[in-house]
Amino acid sequence: MTDERPRQRPELSARVVGEEVIILDRAVNQVHQLNASAGFIWQRCDGQHTPGGLADAVVAAFEIDAETARGAVLTALRRFRQLGLLSPDGH
Amino acid sequence: VRPLTLDALARGVGIACDDAATWSLLSAVYGAMRGERETLDLEYRILRDGRSAGLRIERCGQEPILARDDGALLTLFDAEVVVALQRLRPDLYFVHAAVLERDGAAVMLVARSGGGKSTLSWALLHHGFRYLSDELAPVDLSTLGVLPYPRALLVKRDPPTSHPISGGLRTSRGVHVPAEAMPGEIATSPASLAAVFFLEYRPEASGPSATRLSPAAAAVQLYANALNPLAHDGEGLDAAIAITAGRPCFDLVVTELTPTCELLATTLARSG
Repeated sequence: MTDERPRQRPELSARVVGEEVIILDRAVNQVHQLNASAGFIWQRCDGQHTPGGLADAVVAAFEIDAETARGAVLTALRRFRQLGLLSPDGH
Repeated sequence: VRPLTLDALARGVGIACDDAATWSLLSAVYGAMRGERETLDLEYRILRDGRSAGLRIERCGQEPILARDDGALLTLFDAEVVVALQRLRPDLYFVHAAVLERDGAAVMLVARSGGGKSTLSWALLHHGFRYLSDELAPVDLSTLGVLPYPRALLVKRDPPTSHPISGGLRTSRGVHVPAEAMPGEIATSPASLAAVFFLEYRPEASGPSATRLSPAAAAVQLYANALNPLAHDGEGLDAAIAITAGRPCFDLVVTELTPTCELLATTLARSG
Protein backbone atom coordinates (compact mmCIF):
# COMPACT_ATOMS: atom_id res chain seq x y z
CA MET A 1 0.00 0.00 0.00
CA THR A 2 1.28 3.44 -0.92
CA ASP A 3 0.59 6.84 0.59
CA GLU A 4 -0.98 8.20 -2.60
CA ARG A 5 -4.38 9.81 -2.22
CA PRO A 6 -6.35 9.07 -5.40
CA ARG A 7 -8.74 11.71 -6.61
CA GLN A 8 -11.58 11.52 -9.13
CA ARG A 9 -11.19 13.55 -12.29
CA PRO A 10 -13.37 16.57 -11.55
CA GLU A 11 -14.89 16.81 -15.02
CA LEU A 12 -16.56 13.41 -14.79
CA SER A 13 -20.30 13.19 -14.16
CA ALA A 14 -21.44 10.49 -11.80
CA ARG A 15 -24.72 9.18 -10.43
CA VAL A 16 -25.40 6.66 -7.70
CA VAL A 17 -28.04 4.17 -8.89
CA GLY A 18 -29.02 1.76 -6.16
CA GLU A 19 -25.74 0.39 -4.86
CA GLU A 20 -23.93 1.01 -8.13
CA VAL A 21 -22.39 4.07 -9.76
CA ILE A 22 -22.65 5.37 -13.32
CA ILE A 23 -19.87 7.60 -14.61
CA LEU A 24 -19.99 9.65 -17.79
CA ASP A 25 -16.65 10.62 -19.29
CA ARG A 26 -17.39 13.13 -22.04
CA ALA A 27 -13.72 13.46 -22.95
CA VAL A 28 -13.75 9.97 -24.45
CA ASN A 29 -17.52 9.69 -24.91
CA GLN A 30 -17.84 6.68 -22.64
CA VAL A 31 -20.18 5.74 -19.86
CA HIS A 32 -19.05 3.30 -17.15
CA GLN A 33 -20.93 1.18 -14.65
CA LEU A 34 -19.26 0.39 -11.32
CA ASN A 35 -20.59 -2.39 -9.12
CA ALA A 36 -21.29 -1.81 -5.45
CA SER A 37 -17.75 -2.31 -4.15
CA ALA A 38 -16.04 -0.45 -6.98
CA GLY A 39 -18.56 2.37 -6.64
CA PHE A 40 -17.95 2.53 -2.91
CA ILE A 41 -14.20 2.86 -3.47
CA TRP A 42 -14.58 5.37 -6.30
CA GLN A 43 -16.84 7.61 -4.22
CA ARG A 44 -14.04 7.85 -1.65
CA CYS A 45 -11.36 8.77 -4.17
CA ASP A 46 -11.53 12.36 -2.97
CA GLY A 47 -7.84 13.14 -2.49
CA GLN A 48 -8.15 12.49 1.23
CA HIS A 49 -8.02 8.73 1.50
CA THR A 50 -4.95 6.55 1.01
CA PRO A 51 -5.37 3.02 -0.36
CA GLY A 52 -4.97 1.78 3.20
CA GLY A 53 -7.74 4.06 4.37
CA LEU A 54 -9.94 2.92 1.53
CA ALA A 55 -9.31 -0.72 2.48
CA ASP A 56 -10.28 0.00 6.09
CA ALA A 57 -13.54 1.56 4.87
CA VAL A 58 -14.23 -1.46 2.67
CA VAL A 59 -13.65 -3.83 5.61
CA ALA A 60 -16.16 -1.88 7.68
CA ALA A 61 -18.79 -1.58 4.96
CA PHE A 62 -18.67 -5.02 3.41
CA GLU A 63 -17.61 -7.12 6.39
CA ILE A 64 -14.73 -8.78 4.61
CA ASP A 65 -11.23 -9.49 5.87
CA ALA A 66 -8.46 -6.92 5.52
CA GLU A 67 -6.45 -8.82 2.93
CA THR A 68 -9.45 -9.27 0.63
CA ALA A 69 -10.28 -5.59 1.04
CA ARG A 70 -6.72 -4.54 0.15
CA GLY A 71 -6.84 -6.67 -2.96
CA ALA A 72 -10.19 -5.18 -3.96
CA VAL A 73 -8.92 -1.63 -3.49
CA LEU A 74 -5.72 -2.17 -5.46
CA THR A 75 -7.62 -3.89 -8.27
CA ALA A 76 -10.22 -1.11 -8.37
CA LEU A 77 -7.62 1.68 -8.38
CA ARG A 78 -5.66 -0.02 -11.15
CA ARG A 79 -8.82 -0.34 -13.21
CA PHE A 80 -9.84 3.27 -12.52
CA ARG A 81 -6.45 4.40 -13.83
CA GLN A 82 -6.77 2.23 -16.93
CA LEU A 83 -10.15 3.84 -17.60
CA GLY A 84 -8.81 7.33 -16.92
CA LEU A 85 -11.20 7.99 -14.06
CA LEU A 86 -8.59 9.40 -11.66
CA SER A 87 -6.61 12.63 -11.78
CA PRO A 88 -3.02 11.96 -12.73
CA ASP A 89 -1.85 14.13 -9.83
CA GLY A 90 -3.84 12.24 -7.20
CA HIS A 91 -1.49 12.36 -4.20
CA VAL B 1 -48.39 16.26 -56.95
CA ARG B 2 -50.13 17.35 -53.76
CA PRO B 3 -47.95 17.76 -50.63
CA LEU B 4 -47.83 15.07 -47.99
CA THR B 5 -48.58 16.27 -44.48
CA LEU B 6 -47.45 14.32 -41.43
CA ASP B 7 -48.34 14.62 -37.78
CA ALA B 8 -45.00 13.61 -36.26
CA LEU B 9 -44.81 13.81 -32.48
CA ALA B 10 -47.52 16.49 -32.55
CA ARG B 11 -45.59 18.61 -35.01
CA GLY B 12 -46.54 19.30 -38.59
CA VAL B 13 -44.21 18.09 -41.33
CA GLY B 14 -44.94 19.04 -44.93
CA ILE B 15 -43.31 17.22 -47.82
CA ALA B 16 -43.65 18.45 -51.38
CA CYS B 17 -42.52 16.22 -54.24
CA ASP B 18 -42.28 16.97 -57.92
CA ASP B 19 -43.04 13.47 -59.14
CA ALA B 20 -45.57 10.76 -58.39
CA ALA B 21 -43.01 8.01 -57.80
CA THR B 22 -41.36 9.87 -54.91
CA TRP B 23 -44.75 10.79 -53.47
CA SER B 24 -45.82 7.14 -53.58
CA LEU B 25 -42.59 6.05 -51.89
CA LEU B 26 -42.93 8.56 -49.06
CA SER B 27 -46.64 7.98 -48.75
CA ALA B 28 -46.05 4.27 -48.28
CA VAL B 29 -43.29 4.73 -45.73
CA TYR B 30 -44.88 7.54 -43.70
CA GLY B 31 -48.53 6.79 -44.47
CA ALA B 32 -49.41 5.85 -40.89
CA MET B 33 -48.16 9.26 -39.74
CA ARG B 34 -50.30 11.28 -42.14
CA GLY B 35 -52.40 13.94 -40.48
CA GLU B 36 -53.46 17.52 -40.82
CA ARG B 37 -52.13 20.20 -38.50
CA GLU B 38 -52.89 23.90 -38.40
CA THR B 39 -49.26 24.86 -38.94
CA LEU B 40 -46.30 23.16 -40.51
CA ASP B 41 -43.24 23.19 -38.27
CA LEU B 42 -41.02 21.59 -40.90
CA GLU B 43 -41.33 21.88 -44.66
CA TYR B 44 -39.36 19.84 -47.15
CA ARG B 45 -39.19 19.62 -50.90
CA ILE B 46 -37.89 16.49 -52.53
CA LEU B 47 -36.79 16.63 -56.15
CA ARG B 48 -35.79 13.83 -58.45
CA ASP B 49 -32.87 14.55 -60.75
CA GLY B 50 -33.74 13.13 -64.13
CA ARG B 51 -30.15 12.97 -65.29
CA SER B 52 -28.48 11.27 -62.32
CA ALA B 53 -31.56 9.37 -61.07
CA GLY B 54 -30.63 10.72 -57.63
CA LEU B 55 -32.79 12.81 -55.30
CA ARG B 56 -32.37 16.07 -53.47
CA ILE B 57 -33.91 17.00 -50.11
CA GLU B 58 -34.41 20.72 -49.71
CA ARG B 59 -35.32 22.59 -46.56
CA CYS B 60 -35.49 26.36 -46.32
CA GLY B 61 -32.23 27.89 -45.17
CA GLN B 62 -30.25 24.66 -45.29
CA GLU B 63 -27.89 23.02 -47.71
CA PRO B 64 -29.66 20.43 -49.85
CA ILE B 65 -29.11 16.80 -48.97
CA LEU B 66 -28.30 14.54 -51.92
CA ALA B 67 -29.34 10.90 -52.13
CA ARG B 68 -28.27 8.50 -54.83
CA ASP B 69 -31.37 6.29 -54.71
CA ASP B 70 -34.69 5.71 -52.96
CA GLY B 71 -33.14 3.76 -50.09
CA ALA B 72 -30.57 6.46 -49.40
CA LEU B 73 -33.30 9.10 -49.62
CA LEU B 74 -35.32 7.42 -46.91
CA THR B 75 -32.30 6.95 -44.65
CA LEU B 76 -31.18 10.56 -45.03
CA PHE B 77 -34.69 11.95 -44.74
CA ASP B 78 -35.36 9.87 -41.60
CA ALA B 79 -32.21 11.21 -39.98
CA GLU B 80 -32.95 14.80 -40.98
CA VAL B 81 -36.51 14.71 -39.65
CA VAL B 82 -35.49 13.05 -36.38
CA VAL B 83 -32.82 15.68 -35.69
CA ALA B 84 -35.28 18.47 -36.52
CA LEU B 85 -37.99 16.94 -34.34
CA GLN B 86 -35.56 16.63 -31.47
CA ARG B 87 -35.02 20.37 -31.62
CA LEU B 88 -38.78 20.95 -31.70
CA ARG B 89 -39.50 18.52 -28.84
CA PRO B 90 -36.74 18.95 -26.25
CA ASP B 91 -39.13 17.47 -23.69
CA LEU B 92 -38.75 14.08 -25.35
CA TYR B 93 -35.82 11.71 -24.83
CA PHE B 94 -35.00 9.96 -28.09
CA VAL B 95 -33.70 6.42 -27.94
CA HIS B 96 -32.54 4.37 -30.91
CA ALA B 97 -35.00 1.54 -30.33
CA ALA B 98 -38.08 -0.20 -31.62
CA VAL B 99 -41.25 -0.11 -29.53
CA LEU B 100 -44.23 -2.45 -29.50
CA GLU B 101 -47.27 -2.47 -27.30
CA ARG B 102 -49.56 -5.07 -25.85
CA ASP B 103 -52.46 -4.49 -23.45
CA GLY B 104 -51.43 -0.86 -23.05
CA ALA B 105 -47.86 -1.71 -22.05
CA ALA B 106 -44.97 -0.58 -24.24
CA VAL B 107 -41.93 -2.78 -24.72
CA MET B 108 -38.72 -1.14 -25.91
CA LEU B 109 -36.26 -3.20 -27.95
CA VAL B 110 -32.76 -1.73 -27.95
CA ALA B 111 -29.85 -2.93 -30.06
CA ARG B 112 -27.08 -1.56 -32.16
CA SER B 113 -27.87 -0.92 -35.81
CA GLY B 114 -28.33 -4.25 -37.57
CA GLY B 115 -28.74 -5.99 -34.22
CA GLY B 116 -32.10 -7.52 -35.04
CA LYS B 117 -34.58 -5.02 -33.59
CA SER B 118 -36.71 -4.75 -36.68
CA THR B 119 -36.73 -8.45 -37.46
CA LEU B 120 -37.80 -9.28 -33.91
CA SER B 121 -40.41 -6.49 -34.09
CA TRP B 122 -41.75 -8.01 -37.28
CA ALA B 123 -42.01 -11.37 -35.58
CA LEU B 124 -43.67 -9.93 -32.45
CA LEU B 125 -46.38 -8.36 -34.62
CA HIS B 126 -47.41 -11.96 -35.36
CA HIS B 127 -47.66 -12.65 -31.62
CA GLY B 128 -50.28 -10.15 -30.51
CA PHE B 129 -48.12 -7.03 -30.23
CA ARG B 130 -49.04 -3.69 -31.80
CA TYR B 131 -46.58 -1.42 -33.57
CA LEU B 132 -45.47 1.90 -32.10
CA SER B 133 -42.18 2.62 -33.81
CA ASP B 134 -39.00 1.34 -35.38
CA GLU B 135 -35.57 2.93 -34.91
CA LEU B 136 -36.93 5.73 -32.71
CA ALA B 137 -38.45 5.60 -29.24
CA PRO B 138 -39.52 9.10 -28.17
CA VAL B 139 -40.01 9.03 -24.40
CA ASP B 140 -42.03 11.78 -22.72
CA LEU B 141 -39.96 12.59 -19.65
CA SER B 142 -42.93 13.99 -17.74
CA THR B 143 -44.98 10.79 -18.01
CA LEU B 144 -42.37 8.22 -19.08
CA GLY B 145 -44.77 7.18 -21.80
CA VAL B 146 -43.57 6.34 -25.30
CA LEU B 147 -45.10 8.23 -28.22
CA PRO B 148 -45.98 6.49 -31.48
CA TYR B 149 -43.74 7.15 -34.45
CA PRO B 150 -45.15 4.61 -36.90
CA ARG B 151 -42.87 5.04 -39.85
CA ALA B 152 -42.79 1.84 -41.92
CA LEU B 153 -40.84 -0.94 -40.26
CA LEU B 154 -37.48 -1.31 -42.00
CA VAL B 155 -36.25 -4.90 -42.10
CA LYS B 156 -32.71 -4.83 -43.43
CA ARG B 157 -32.38 -8.56 -44.07
CA ASP B 158 -35.09 -10.94 -45.16
CA PRO B 159 -36.44 -12.67 -42.04
CA PRO B 160 -36.47 -16.45 -41.78
CA THR B 161 -39.17 -18.43 -43.53
CA SER B 162 -41.12 -18.71 -40.26
CA HIS B 163 -42.05 -15.02 -40.60
CA PRO B 164 -42.02 -14.10 -44.30
CA ILE B 165 -42.72 -10.54 -45.43
CA SER B 166 -45.33 -9.80 -48.05
CA GLY B 167 -46.40 -6.38 -49.20
CA GLY B 168 -43.21 -4.57 -48.29
CA LEU B 169 -41.44 -1.96 -50.34
CA ARG B 170 -37.90 -3.01 -51.25
CA THR B 171 -35.11 -0.43 -51.55
CA SER B 172 -31.31 -0.54 -51.38
CA ARG B 173 -31.57 -0.33 -47.56
CA GLY B 174 -33.98 -3.21 -47.01
CA VAL B 175 -37.70 -3.91 -47.00
CA HIS B 176 -39.97 -1.15 -45.69
CA VAL B 177 -43.15 -2.67 -44.31
CA PRO B 178 -45.97 -0.12 -44.24
CA ALA B 179 -48.74 -0.18 -41.70
CA GLU B 180 -51.26 -1.85 -43.99
CA ALA B 181 -48.90 -4.77 -44.60
CA MET B 182 -48.34 -5.48 -40.91
CA PRO B 183 -50.04 -8.47 -39.30
CA GLY B 184 -50.75 -6.52 -36.12
CA GLU B 185 -52.36 -3.16 -35.48
CA ILE B 186 -50.73 0.23 -35.18
CA ALA B 187 -50.82 1.91 -31.76
CA THR B 188 -51.99 5.48 -32.20
CA SER B 189 -51.61 6.85 -28.69
CA PRO B 190 -48.75 6.97 -26.17
CA ALA B 191 -48.17 3.84 -24.12
CA SER B 192 -46.67 3.45 -20.69
CA LEU B 193 -43.22 1.88 -20.81
CA ALA B 194 -43.44 -1.54 -19.16
CA ALA B 195 -40.07 -3.12 -19.94
CA VAL B 196 -36.85 -2.68 -21.87
CA PHE B 197 -35.06 -5.49 -23.67
CA PHE B 198 -31.46 -5.09 -24.85
CA LEU B 199 -31.02 -7.49 -27.73
CA GLU B 200 -28.04 -9.64 -28.56
CA TYR B 201 -28.48 -11.71 -31.71
CA ARG B 202 -26.69 -15.03 -31.18
CA PRO B 203 -27.95 -17.59 -33.66
CA GLU B 204 -25.38 -20.11 -32.41
CA ALA B 205 -26.88 -20.13 -28.89
CA SER B 206 -28.92 -23.18 -27.90
CA GLY B 207 -31.99 -21.02 -27.31
CA PRO B 208 -33.13 -17.57 -26.30
CA SER B 209 -32.56 -16.33 -22.77
CA ALA B 210 -33.52 -13.29 -20.74
CA THR B 211 -31.35 -11.99 -17.90
CA ARG B 212 -32.59 -9.25 -15.58
CA LEU B 213 -30.29 -6.23 -15.44
CA SER B 214 -29.47 -4.05 -12.47
CA PRO B 215 -30.87 -0.51 -12.70
CA ALA B 216 -27.38 0.89 -13.30
CA ALA B 217 -26.57 -1.60 -16.05
CA ALA B 218 -29.87 -0.83 -17.77
CA ALA B 219 -29.35 2.93 -17.51
CA VAL B 220 -25.85 2.64 -18.99
CA GLN B 221 -27.09 0.60 -21.94
CA LEU B 222 -30.02 2.93 -22.54
CA TYR B 223 -27.76 5.97 -22.36
CA ALA B 224 -25.42 4.43 -24.92
CA ASN B 225 -28.35 4.20 -27.32
CA ALA B 226 -29.82 7.65 -26.68
CA LEU B 227 -29.79 10.19 -29.50
CA ASN B 228 -28.05 13.40 -28.49
CA PRO B 229 -28.56 12.86 -24.73
CA LEU B 230 -26.33 15.83 -23.90
CA ALA B 231 -29.18 18.11 -24.98
CA HIS B 232 -30.94 17.21 -21.74
CA ASP B 233 -30.33 18.39 -18.18
CA GLY B 234 -27.68 16.46 -16.31
CA GLU B 235 -26.12 15.50 -19.64
CA GLY B 236 -28.98 13.10 -20.17
CA LEU B 237 -27.89 10.74 -17.41
CA ASP B 238 -30.82 11.49 -15.11
CA ALA B 239 -33.31 10.85 -17.88
CA ALA B 240 -31.76 7.48 -18.72
CA ILE B 241 -31.89 6.54 -15.04
CA ALA B 242 -35.50 7.70 -14.72
CA ILE B 243 -36.60 5.73 -17.77
CA THR B 244 -35.06 2.46 -16.60
CA ALA B 245 -35.73 2.87 -12.88
CA GLY B 246 -38.62 0.92 -11.48
CA ARG B 247 -39.27 -1.12 -14.59
CA PRO B 248 -37.81 -4.45 -15.55
CA CYS B 249 -34.91 -4.39 -18.01
CA PHE B 250 -33.35 -7.47 -19.54
CA ASP B 251 -30.53 -8.65 -21.72
CA LEU B 252 -32.29 -10.79 -24.32
CA VAL B 253 -30.31 -13.33 -26.32
CA VAL B 254 -32.14 -13.69 -29.62
CA THR B 255 -32.06 -16.96 -31.52
CA GLU B 256 -34.95 -18.37 -33.57
CA LEU B 257 -37.80 -15.92 -33.80
CA THR B 258 -40.74 -17.96 -32.52
CA PRO B 259 -39.12 -19.15 -29.25
CA THR B 260 -37.64 -15.68 -28.74
CA CYS B 261 -41.07 -14.07 -29.10
CA GLU B 262 -42.56 -16.60 -26.70
CA LEU B 263 -39.80 -15.98 -24.17
CA LEU B 264 -40.21 -12.21 -24.41
CA ALA B 265 -43.98 -12.47 -23.92
CA THR B 266 -43.57 -14.81 -20.96
CA THR B 267 -40.87 -12.64 -19.39
CA LEU B 268 -43.03 -9.56 -19.84
CA ALA B 269 -46.06 -11.25 -18.26
CA ARG B 270 -44.07 -12.53 -15.28
CA SER B 271 -42.39 -9.19 -14.65
CA GLY B 272 -45.64 -7.25 -14.85
